[in-house]
Amino acid sequence: MSDRRKQLFSYPRTVEELLQQVASLHEPTNTSPTPPSLIIVDRLESFLSGPGGSSQSGFHPGERSCAAHIAALLCDTAAFLTQVLEQRGSSSAPCRIIASFLSEVNAGGDPSGTDPILDVLDRYFQVRCTLDQDSGYEATAAAVQEVWHIYLSGRGITDPSFTEDYNDRPGVAQEWKLFIFPDGLMEFKLV
Amino acid sequence: MRSFLPAVAEQLFQDIQKTYQEASQIPNDLLIALKFVFGSCALQALDLVDQHSVTCLTAPSGRKAFQVTGGSGRLYTCFLSCHYCPCPAFAYSVLRRNDGLVCKHILAVYLSQAMAATQQESVSDQQMSLLLSGTMDP
Repeated sequence: MSDRRKQLFSYPRTVEELLQQVASLHEPTNTSPTPPSLIIVDRLESFLSGPGGSSQSGFHPGERSCAAHIAALLCDTAAFLTQVLEQRGSSSAPCRIIASFLSEVNAGGDPSGTDPILDVLDRYFQVRCTLDQDSGYEATAAAVQEVWHIYLSGRGITDPSFTEDYNDRPGVAQEWKLFIFPDGLMEFKLV
Repeated sequence: MRSFLPAVAEQLFQDIQKTYQEASQIPNDLLIALKFVFGSCALQALDLVDQHSVTCLTAPSGRKAFQVTGGSGRLYTCFLSCHYCPCPAFAYSVLRRNDGLVCKHILAVYLSQAMAATQQESVSDQQMSLLLSGTMDP
């Protein structure tokens, strides 16, 4: 039996367009025949740049509120779509959100900096998956092009409801090393 | 709303709901607890509830949102399942300074629900989209 699901790609140009598109996902044209069960937002940071672009030294005051609005809207929309999926007896429930955000903080190598936008996003997203590029000797030693350290964090890691999806895989892994070889091969290793 | 509040606040709202159902008023000890947990916005939120400032908007699709009439008459749209308010106090005290758990508008929503004082109103799905996106300036 084939599972035919529609994938819709959308390219909002501004944060206002992004908000409008997400805010309209409850409308019947978007929930028929089936509501979305996965919403992916790429490059969230590009929607949040203040006038003149974001900077480490002074985040535009509106950026935090804007980040909260988008994140809250995504979460509230997912909660509503989950409800619709469950009401229709869909096996696709719950509706999940994945968002990517490239942080400018720590780009200069200072590990003590914190990104206020990430702090805002952490209020709404249960799990954060961080990708840190390893600039040490490991890449050279392993003859790879890049080494990345990938790890999960957030309240969803310890939340029992998070592990319900993984009942048949107790002790879900939370940390990996990603090796990218010069020929493009990617290899994940559990840490 | 899914719990974004500490357990003490959740318990407080449950106690307020139970007591209000029985006696139609909030006893002093719960008012003191409310002030202790939420600070200065507790009284402001109660004031908003007294003025019937909280409305639950429902669209034909089933999507809901709360709309709170602020002290200045401005309308603030808040979400059902998580904390967000477009007011300056939320942006400053909650997000920037992490001083408060919520603003008075979100607190008014919780109290209004506990005290069964929420107004109800229907909107179209398109109107709901505009409100949620912040495009519609109420």
